[in-house]
Amino acid sequence: MSFQSCKDCRYFLPVDVFYGLCKRSKNKITQDDPFCDQAEKIAKCKFCLNYSAERDFLGKCKGTTLAYPDMVAVQCADFGWIEAN
Amino acid sequence: MIKTESSHINYYGHQPGSQVENREQKKQITQRAGAARELYFETKSSVSMEFPYWYTRRWEELEGEIPVIRRAEALKSGFSHLTPVIYPGELLAMSKSSYLRGSYPMPWLSEAFFMAAEDKLYKEAQESGKLTADQFTTMGKGGGNVTRSIGNVISIAGKFGLRVEEMPVMIEIAKKWKDRSVDDVGHKYEQLVPGYSEKEALMRSVICMFDSGYTLPQGREVINYYYPLQFGFDGLIRRCRTRMEEVAGYPEMDRLYYYRATMILIEGLQQWIRNHAEEARFMASIETDVPQMKEYEEMAERLDWLASNPPRSFHESLQMIWLLHVAVLNEDAISGLSPGRVGQVLFPFWQRDILKKVITREQTLELLECMRMKFTAIDCFASMGVVGGVLSGNTFNNLCLGGLKKDGTSAANELEMLILEAGISCDTPQPTLSVLYDEKLPEEFLLKGVECTKIGTGYPAWINNQVAMEFLMANYGHEGMNLEEARAWSIGGCLETSPGSWMPLELDGEIHWIPGGSAPATSVGVHFLSLPKILEVTLFDGMDMRSGERIFPAHGYKLDTYDELWNAFRDYFRRACHVLTLTNNIQHDAWRKISPSLVNSMLKPDCLEQGKDIGQMGCRYNATFNIESCGTANLINSLASLKKNVFTDKTYSLNEYREAILANFGYHSAQETGSYSLIDQIPNDGYDRWKKIHRISLDAPKFGNDDPFVDEIMKAWETWFCTMTHDFRSLYNEPMYACQISVSTHGPMGAVTLAGADGRLGGTTFSDGSVSAYPGTDRNGPYALFNSATCWNHATSQNSQLNMKIHPSVVKGREGSRKFLDLIRSYLRKGGFHVQFNIVDSRMLKAAQAEPDKYRSLLVRVAGFTQYWVELGKQIQDEVIARTEYEEV
Repeated sequence: MSFQSCKDCRYFLPVDVFYGLCKRSKNKITQDDPFCDQAEKIAKCKFCLNYSAERDFLGKCKGTTLAYPDMVAVQCADFGWIEAN
Repeated sequence: MIKTESSHINYYGHQPGSQVENREQKKQITQRAGAARELYFETKSSVSMEFPYWYTRRWEELEGEIPVIRRAEALKSGFSHLTPVIYPGELLAMSKSSYLRGSYPMPWLSEAFFMAAEDKLYKEAQESGKLTADQFTTMGKGGGNVTRSIGNVISIAGKFGLRVEEMPVMIEIAKKWKDRSVDDVGHKYEQLVPGYSEKEALMRSVICMFDSGYTLPQGREVINYYYPLQFGFDGLIRRCRTRMEEVAGYPEMDRLYYYRATMILIEGLQQWIRNHAEEARFMASIETDVPQMKEYEEMAERLDWLASNPPRSFHESLQMIWLLHVAVLNEDAISGLSPGRVGQVLFPFWQRDILKKVITREQTLELLECMRMKFTAIDCFASMGVVGGVLSGNTFNNLCLGGLKKDGTSAANELEMLILEAGISCDTPQPTLSVLYDEKLPEEFLLKGVECTKIGTGYPAWINNQVAMEFLMANYGHEGMNLEEARAWSIGGCLETSPGSWMPLELDGEIHWIPGGSAPATSVGVHFLSLPKILEVTLFDGMDMRSGERIFPAHGYKLDTYDELWNAFRDYFRRACHVLTLTNNIQHDAWRKISPSLVNSMLKPDCLEQGKDIGQMGCRYNATFNIESCGTANLINSLASLKKNVFTDKTYSLNEYREAILANFGYHSAQETGSYSLIDQIPNDGYDRWKKIHRISLDAPKFGNDDPFVDEIMKAWETWFCTMTHDFRSLYNEPMYACQISVSTHGPMGAVTLAGADGRLGGTTFSDGSVSAYPGTDRNGPYALFNSATCWNHATSQNSQLNMKIHPSVVKGREGSRKFLDLIRSYLRKGGFHVQFNIVDSRMLKAAQAEPDKYRSLLVRVAGFTQYWVELGKQIQDEVIARTEYEEV
């Protein structure tokens, strides 16, 4: 599993490709800051049991459809957490 | 104190004092909007792949489906999967993507330009001339532009940032659209037009800058918010269902699919809105600050309501029009989607709330400032040539004020006064404002407009209401427009006169006639044509001497007389219009077949009534294609110089002029000097040989001085141009019309054009607008400029554009305001269509160019839009500095 950073957290409020705000602390944080102890994963393809990685930043959904690991899947009806999560 | 040399600035009147003059004091922004603006200043333009991913995925799943249904399902998938984001302190929610200043590629329109540079597709696009303008465009180096790749962020087109994690999927998605995008399909069929190779030569030489069919197929029009404001989304679904049942199985079956597609689309929009309501509830659940928590809860309730129902308050109506605006922007690459006369559309809601004491004027102002911050954050993802070369990073959402009501009385109201006030206190680029000037507008309202223009926002621009109505009646009368309907017009985009209609908004049993757009994009077609470059090619018998490529066949004239030169120029211009009109019609046909408008169509009268989208001429008015020009003053000045120096005085031969032009009058090129205005150019070793011919060219009569010799040439050009455009037919089989705004194209188009007989040097930026004088050549004062500018009938063109730069001291104080209003009035009373102003000390612009970090919030007016100085490319910065600064009016 890839390194988890603020952009993988459900409390990350994206502002731009560089930074965002923490929804709880309101602090400015970068996308690539490491998870803090209060972080919780947001639904993303890379955390989904339907996702299989193929090469850097690309994979498949259900083995057939193009997908990419960092896509937020909050609105995806088929999302399911990998058991390890 | 700023110290900057004033010797490299063009002045009219006395030299300014030694200290750089600041603009008049701005009013204080509210704390809430101020915080939003600070956040905006720290934000970079950002691209995400969420929407295009889900759009493309659904599109592929529906292979074989009816095209318009397939499009609706793809849009629904895109909208309903967007990750909702709510920022603290927001009173208006929702945006294009999950980034504050977000946008995304639309590969279904065009996929080639954002492929990696080494990619084969990209190279093919370059060879076909599609990307030539990109090479000659400079992007702003500061502000929110991501000018270079850094860390995990990749810079695209010198403006947009994309996370490295999303780059591979962007390429993969783009490849799925190869040979299927509007661009590729249009290109495949446009090649069937006889003489097609001439079109590609025109694009490579940047005589023409863009294909409008796949770059910005919609926009330069006025949105219409009426239907959702009146019926709500559930009401619209009911209307579609009823109509669908009425037409199912009957001839003109496309109506059935259209209504079904619209229902599918609305379901997607509703889900999108409800997702944001859910996110607002989540934000409330983790919020510890009670007032903020309450605001999130109210926002959730408001969005849930609006997902189904029409608005109940001013706040809800403002939220509704904002989300509609974003919804339209998300269906196509769009610039110039104007909200139109918002102060009149929302006045019934606001007036009711004020009477019921639901809202105060202070709260209204805060909301309007929040609206400004939302509009300011709108970005449009496109190639560098489009974003930099045309838009300068702006998206031209023009909010209009004033004009007349349906019954012919003044339409200005108190809410519009507050919109102007918000434009003063929250001075940001968007929405830009325009006053539709009419003699019936009250003095108090006009002075408020002047107060706003004076602080240096560049808005409102001042537009002639009666001239616009005359143009509309002439061009849309055959489609049923009458005088009453003409009054509903507004500016679409930066300066495109656009038809409107009066819509009967019923509130508490009373009918309020509100204006809204009722035509599709009013500026698509032949975009833009470089007049100085066509003259250059005429002088060299069809050759582009910069590239050595033949553009047109030899014209066959000896050019022994001025009339021959004039005829040869017009022949080439007509040839260009002919092939570009036909190829653009094919591109737009591909657009309407592959990527039909559904969101915008749902809003425009009479698409829902007729069961036809915009591309099927469902709109009330459809005569909307145009031919757009650039570099008017340089053309006129060059013709005047040649007429005088070659054909009348015979001081030089045409061959001597050709040699001088090729030698750039003995100067280094603008690319070598790194500066794009005439006053900053540097002579080379050969200068002495060309000194005399350059001097005599600079001294030749210049447009803008009330000189009949040159104004007659202007009049002849305008009379011919505004008439000949009607000879060309649009995709909708309607005659085309003339459009004359430069936007930012005078930068890159100037960059590829050799020196001119007017003394302009090669590579330098053209004059802006269409009736602006060339910088530094208007030497007889503003009233002489007005006389020259109005030597032709502006009602025969969709627009004309006059930009002026005035030193802040000239319009200072109450007396200065009255003097300023008199100046504006005098131009409009002469029949001028449009005038706009930079109120700035040019030395401040010079200082800002040298130290951009100190001037993050400095705004300037370019050509129909206001932009942050630091986000403008150098070509345009140099041109704005060079414009004549009026020290006296």
